[in-house]
Order: sequence, then structure tokens, then C-alpha cells
Amino acid sequence: MQQTTNSPDVSPRSLLPTGENRAKLRRWRSIKDKISQYGIAFAGISVVAAFATIFVYLFSEVGPIFSSASIEKQQSFNSVAAKPIFTNLERYGEVGLVIDAEGLMQFFDAKTGAMTQQVKLPIPLDAKITSFAKGEPRSGIIAVGLSNGHALVAKHEYNLSYPNDQRKIVPVVSYPLGETPIALNPTGQPILSLAVQEGSSGTAITAFTADGHLSLNLFEAQTEFLTGETTFVRQDYALPSAPRSVSKMLMDTTLRSLFVADAENKVHYYDLTDPATPRYVEAVTAVAAGKQVTAMEFLVGSVSLILGGSDGSLSQWFLVRDEHNNFHLKHIRDFEQHSGAIQQIIPEYSRKGFMAIDVNSELGIHYGTSARTLLQESLDFKATNVALSPINTEFLVLSDDGKTYRFALDNAHPDVSWKAMWNEVWYEGRAEKDYIWQASSGSDEFEAKMSLVPLALGTLKAALFAMLFATPLAVMSALYTAYFMTPVLRGKVKPTIEIMAALPTVILGFLAGLWLAPFVENYLSAIFAILLLLPFMMLIAAWCWRYAPASWRNRLGLGWEVLLLIPVIVGFIYLCVSLSPAVDNMFFNGSLRQWFTDNGITYDQRNALVVGIAMGFAVIPNIFSIAEDAVFNVPRHLTQGSLALGATPWQTMIGVVLPTASPGIFAAVMVGFGRAVGETMIVLMATGNSPVVNFNLFEGMRTLSANIAVELPETAVGSTHFRVLFLAALVLFVFTFIFNTLAEVIRQRLRQRFSSL
Amino acid sequence: MTQQQLPNAYTELDLANEKTKLQVNDLRLYYGDSLALKNINLTIPEKRVTAFIGPSGCGKSTLLRCFNRMNDLVDICRIEGEIMMDGQNIYDKSVDVSELRRSVGMVFQKPNPFPKTIYENVAYGLRLQGVKDRRILDEVVETSLKGAALWNEVKDRLHDNAFGLSGGQQQRLVIARAIAIEPEVLLLDEPASALDPISTLKIEELICELKSRYTIVIVTHNMQQAARVSDYTAFMYMGDLIEFDTTNKMFTTPSQQQTEDYITGRFG
Repeated sequence: MQQTTNSPDVSPRSLLPTGENRAKLRRWRSIKDKISQYGIAFAGISVVAAFATIFVYLFSEVGPIFSSASIEKQQSFNSVAAKPIFTNLERYGEVGLVIDAEGLMQFFDAKTGAMTQQVKLPIPLDAKITSFAKGEPRSGIIAVGLSNGHALVAKHEYNLSYPNDQRKIVPVVSYPLGETPIALNPTGQPILSLAVQEGSSGTAITAFTADGHLSLNLFEAQTEFLTGETTFVRQDYALPSAPRSVSKMLMDTTLRSLFVADAENKVHYYDLTDPATPRYVEAVTAVAAGKQVTAMEFLVGSVSLILGGSDGSLSQWFLVRDEHNNFHLKHIRDFEQHSGAIQQIIPEYSRKGFMAIDVNSELGIHYGTSARTLLQESLDFKATNVALSPINTEFLVLSDDGKTYRFALDNAHPDVSWKAMWNEVWYEGRAEKDYIWQASSGSDEFEAKMSLVPLALGTLKAALFAMLFATPLAVMSALYTAYFMTPVLRGKVKPTIEIMAALPTVILGFLAGLWLAPFVENYLSAIFAILLLLPFMMLIAAWCWRYAPASWRNRLGLGWEVLLLIPVIVGFIYLCVSLSPAVDNMFFNGSLRQWFTDNGITYDQRNALVVGIAMGFAVIPNIFSIAEDAVFNVPRHLTQGSLALGATPWQTMIGVVLPTASPGIFAAVMVGFGRAVGETMIVLMATGNSPVVNFNLFEGMRTLSANIAVELPETAVGSTHFRVLFLAALVLFVFTFIFNTLAEVIRQRLRQRFSSL
Repeated sequence: MTQQQLPNAYTELDLANEKTKLQVNDLRLYYGDSLALKNINLTIPEKRVTAFIGPSGCGKSTLLRCFNRMNDLVDICRIEGEIMMDGQNIYDKSVDVSELRRSVGMVFQKPNPFPKTIYENVAYGLRLQGVKDRRILDEVVETSLKGAALWNEVKDRLHDNAFGLSGGQQQRLVIARAIAIEPEVLLLDEPASALDPISTLKIEELICELKSRYTIVIVTHNMQQAARVSDYTAFMYMGDLIEFDTTNKMFTTPSQQQTEDYITGRFG
């Protein structure tokens, strides 16, 4: 650029930087543009990728609970016994056991089939085994009934030791009632069917003899304090109304119920609560007429019966209490039918599942609670007997051609299904189908009840009551602050309420649980009076102010009158609280809370009312802030246009401001709802966390979020419970996603609507 | 220009012959501590168009807003003096502001239809007055829209959103909304400043039609517009009313030097 000084007719020297410098600046600017362009793109994609990863992780944790079971054939070897009456596989899958018809117990290496140990049951030479029974699988108790009317009870256990850091499993056979067979009946009739069970009070044996008698023998162990010698007190009882034939008998671990399947299609139920007066309760038709019950087993815990029929049907039954406190054997659910008669049912050791094999060698894996059939597969050989590992990772199948096949089993999460999580399920021991969340217990025989319905409803209940409290307060105050309040006061009120959002919810929850809940319980009538009468009090105060002398009103100024409400509100609350004991004494026999209980209304100290108030306070700032903005951003020229048409401020508010701001107010409420749904600490501390299915104001609830917070630290990683909690998190996410999306969509529409103003 | 002046020219306008609609007596208006209107005395004749002209910030819009007490909405605004309408001081304590604003309609610079349908915009004022009868509403909506020369353009889409109209149509809709509640005075605050020339022309024609029924006060920056539509003109400067006379006289032989300077474009 040339310097053009000293010539008066040209324009003065340019003050811009030289062209060279400007070009340099342009290059530098374009570099900065590029850097920010790629930097921002990278950051944005990283955020999206991080979210996607979270989702992939969530889904990968949840996915396995919906997968079905799979089996894989691994080894086969020659069976140690040709015709076993019992097979077993211990926990590590190393030692197998077969018992043959002669009473020879043979332990073998479950991977090679090599025999490791033999034990001959001490049966007299002149007697033969005529029946076999086993107790609860984990107890290892078995019994054989003999042709001479005697029975022998044995127990197989596995001692575990680690010599030289190598696992060594030594099978041990013991005889809890002595090595000599016990004479069950004086006549010496052969025992055709037998049941054995070990309970807390002793061991029980029931026997059906060839002459059609059904007997119960109880053995109570008594240990001599000084010598340590164990003796047995034996009691014999005859049971009434024995069926003509018996194919299978089972006794539960409480030694109170006996179930007898006859050779036809009936199952008979005996109540042995008082063994001296045993009661024959009923016979139920378990399979279709003309078919037979071919297999019957308890699920773990000996509450549920699984019945297999000659038509391949499988059904679950258990005792259900009726309204007269009597138990009846009830049909609960059916499983997918097999093609042939059920030959053997193999219950799992620690879950409510079972395997079933039919005469066509079709293997089925079913589960009680979830009513799922996880696998149905035909084996390519004729199976005679199956033994399942206690941890459900493998099983042995004996075939009639003298071979034993070892299978690997993958069946990690049979206990839940989508249907069972969202529908009523009939759980063991319950009077009827129900929605229950009770995911864990101290007992291995426990049936996990994982219905998401109580949690989802609890979440909605908590959010609903919080919104009932928060929405009117927040929206009304937003309307007043944005439209009527003087700007000076608004400048203080709005930031104050907004800063409430920064209050840690753990403090709110703490206050709600430890201060508000007892307070509400003690001053229940005051709380009701405040909630119901305070709005009217405020209206009355406003009405009085309207007729106050003009000099007072002018001194305060327009938009400041809200300050007058503070003493009114505080005074009214104080009045209610101080009058509450007197009111309780006068009308409610001293305590409204007790009065509720006396009148059949359940009252929990931590209830929806407390949560509604506490969580209401937590969401008020969110709703208020957005709603206030929406109202305040209604263009001035609209309100002025309305006022210029002769509208009063109130008419303008209703006619113009509210309709214009309504999408924003709706979005605010939705954001508040989304916040209430996801809120954790307050509901955790103030709800009592009882997963009930109701909308009672005076009962608590358990929300999805609080449930995750409570249970996730205690659950085993990778267990079904663990994965269901992840599913609960997904459900929670879907909830908040829906509400927030709705709010966002409406806010976008609002923006569009105002862009044309 | 000459054609528009014709209607005014054939009758000799004289304030002495007019019936007074609004009478401003010693009006002083403060914004906080500063005096925005200094002792205004003015007579607005009935069923005539009175224009307020003057440079930006001279107080003409403020004065206009005194007539329907829109200045009440400004916290720091304080008024002394009186404005008589039909012999009644509108700043008297007994006056209902809503009723005053019903009888003194106002149209703003920027079209401000409500986010409602065309029909509901016009019916809004009636609904405020408690009219619920559908037949009355229908009739008033139609006559008002006809009165605002908008009926033919919108009669087939009365129930569409008012934001679908053009700026000029929106402004006429706002006028229709204002006349639907049968005001006596119409205040127009630069009604055409945000519009294109064609729309401006339509608004001006409308003003000429409306003056047979309403007393109209218009604030404008556009001196040709003032000359075209008004019968009387007030020139304001720095919160003072400098001169008030018939439009014809103001634009031909103003008595004040400041008026002449402004009209001829020496300042402003």
C-alpha cells in the first residue's frame, strides 16, 4: 500500500492495518476457526459416544436375563451301574454317585467314569430293595424300603479338603438312624413306597406296605449331655384313608404335609401337623382323566410340587390358605408340555427350577416362578436317569445302552421373565397372585419376587404427590412473581428460590425423615388444616387488604402486598400447630393418627404425605424458575394490548398471559415431574422403602431409584438380582426420558411460536 | 398531496366551532425526578383526527398514553394536572381504569395480535365485557372487521391463527379489535411506522373512514402522513406543546419559528 501524504486533494492516510497484516490476520483466523471447528466436533462426538457407551453397558448387563438356556455334550463313558435307582453329582462336578437295585453305592469320577469308592448298604441278605426315597436334595438323605418291612436311612456327604493345595473330595456315607434297618411294621409286609425327610424336630418316614397300610414313623434324636450318645425316640402312627395304590410319596421339611400320588391321576394330601391325629384333607385330580401321575418332586424348600403326567404335562402345585385358614393343594401353573410321559423330574438345589425328562428322551428345563421353559431338546440316546449339579453348571445323563454322558449347562437367569416382572405372579405360600418386590432373603430356599410393578408405581406415587404439592405452589408463585410483583422484590425473590435448587437433597431427605415425619405424625390435624385452609386464609387476607384504607395501601405500593402475607402465613401455621392438640383431644380422642388406625386406615410414619411435602420443596425451584421465565417472557406489547382494551390485570393474566405462557408452564411441570421421578435421596430417607402397591396417602412406597440405591451395594455382581436392578435403572431412564423429551418438544414449539411475535 | 388536502379544504376548520372531546389542563408528567411533559394545555376536538408531531423523545407518545392512563403501568411515572373527557377528569379516583380504557382504545406502533385466532382476537374485548352470546360475537366480529376494512381478506379464515396475517393486516386486525368494544376515542401510536407503503396507505384510508365515528389521536413521525390524515396538528418539542392549530395552517403558515424549522426539515 502506497503512502499518499502531502497531497491535499486525496483522502487522509488509511488507519487500517496494512493489507499484508490483514492477510496474516485472516490466515490466523481461519486456523482458529478450524481448530475450534474440529475441537467442538470432537468434544460433541465424545459426549455422544460416552452416552452410547453407557447404554451399551446397561443393555449388556440387562440382556442375559432374557436369554434361554443351552446345553453342550462333553464326555461320555461307560456307566458303573446298569440299572441305577438313584444318581447324583456333587457341587464341584467331580464325584458322581449311582445306587443300583442291590443297594450298592458306587462313587465315580464324573469326568472319566472311573470308579473311586464303593459302599454296600447294610441290607440283610434275605431282603430285597422294594422302594426308594430321597429327602431334600441338599441334605443328601436317602432311604430304601425292603421286602421284609424294614427300612434303612443313609446319607451321602462329601468332605472337602485341600492337601497340597489340591482340592480333594472324599464321599462319606453315614446312617443317621443307625446301620441296622428299622422294622417299620410288625407284620413284615414289603414296603412298596417310601418317603423320607429330615426336619428340625427329627426324621420322618412314611411307608406304604403291600397290604395297603400307610404309616408314619417319627424319629426324634436326643443326645445325652454327658456321654454325647445319641438315642432316638420313635413314634409310630397309622394314617387314615390310605389310597389303593401308591406310586410316589413326598413329605415336606416341616414334617407337616404328606403328598401321595396314586397309580391313577390323583394326588392325596395329608395334614400331619398333629401326628397323633393325622388328617386326610383331600385328593386332587392332577392330570387329565385316564392319564397317570408319572413323576412328582418338590422344588427346593419342599413347598411346591411339580407333577409330571403320562401325557407329558408338567404342572406346579402348592398349599394355599383359604379364608377359613385351611390349606388346600392348588394348581398354580403349567409348563410347556413334553411329547411323552414324564419319566423323571430333577429339581435344582437352590432355585425354584427343575429339569424334566420324558420317555422319548426329550429334556426340558423349566422354572417355577417365572413359568419359563428355557430349553426343550431331544437327546440322541435313550435316557434312563439324570443327575444335576447343585450349581446348575453341568449334569450327567445315564442311557440304557450303558453309557453316561456329561453335559455342560448354561442357565444363569431363568428366574425372571418380562411377563413375570410386569404381571401378577402366584408366589409360593401366597393366597393369590400378586405384585411383589422382595428380591433377597437370608434363606437359600427363598423364592425371589422381582415384580417391577410396585417399584414403578411407587416412583409414580412419590412423583405424583410431590407434584400435587409443588405444582400449584410453584406455578402460582411464578405467575405472581413474573406478572404482579414489583421488579425490586422480584429481583430478590427469584434468585432466592432458584438457589434453593442447589440445596443438597440429602439434607432435605434427612430433614424429611427425621424431623418432618415425626412432626407430621404428631401434628397431623395441623398439617391438614394448613394444607386445606391456608389458601383460603390467603384469599381472606387479600380481600381484607382490598378494603384497607387507601393511605395504607398507597404507602406499601403496588406489587409489595405479598410481604403482608408473610405474617398471615406464619401466624396461621403457628395457630394451627398450637391448636392441634386441643382439636385432637376434642374430636379424635387425643390423636388423629391413632384415630386413623382405629378406623382402619393404615398410617405409616414415613408416608406419601411427608414425601410429597419434602420432594415438593425439592422440585419447586425447578418448576418455578422455568414457569417464571415463561410468564415473564410474554411480550409486553401483548399485555399492554390487552390492558388497552379495558382488561383488568387479572383478565389480562387469564386471557393473554396464561395461554401464551402455557407451553412453558407445561414444560416446567414436566421438568419438575422428571426430576421427581429420578429423585433418590429424599425418597430413600423419607418413604420407608416398603414396596407396596397402592396410592394411599398415609403409606410409604419404594421407588426405582431408591431401590437401586438400597440394593445394588448388597447384590452379587452378575446375579439375576443385579441385572434386574440394571433393568430398573433402564426403566427409570425411560420414565425420565419420556418426561424430559415431552418438555423439550413443547419448549421448542414455544420458541417457534414466539419467534413470529 | 393536494388531493388528500381537499377534504379538509372545503370546510373552514376552526377550533372555536368544534365540540371538545378531551381537554388537557396544566398536565405535568414526571419520570422519577425528570419532567417529561411540561404544563400541557390542549383541546382535542370530537370526531376529528388530531396528529401529534415532533422529534423523537419530545413526549408525544407519553402524552398520548395519558389519555388512557397507560402511563399508570410505569412505576416511576407521576402525573399532575387533569385531563377532562366529556367534562370528567379521567385521573379522578372514582374513574374505573378498565372502563376508561374501554372507551379510549389504543393501537400500538408494532402490530400486537394475541396468539389466538383472528376471530378470538376481535372477540377478546367483548368477552372481557362479559358477552358470551355467540350470535352477538359473530355480528360484532364481522362489523368490526368490515369497519377495519379487513373482512374481505379474512372472512374465510376467521379461525386461523392471527400470526398468519401480514403486518398490515395484523395492524388492521388490531384496529378491528379496538373498535369492536365501541370506544369513543382511538389513540394511534405511530400505527404505520412498521408497515410497507401499500399497507400504510390502507391504514390511512381507514383512518379517514373511522373519523366520522371516533375521535382519533395519532402520533406520527411522518409529516406527510400527518398532513394527509389529520384535521388538527400539535407540534411538541422537549416536553412542551409548541403549537396547536389546524393541519392546514400548521403546514402552510405556522406561527412559531420552531414549527416551521421542524416541518421544513431543518432539524428533527
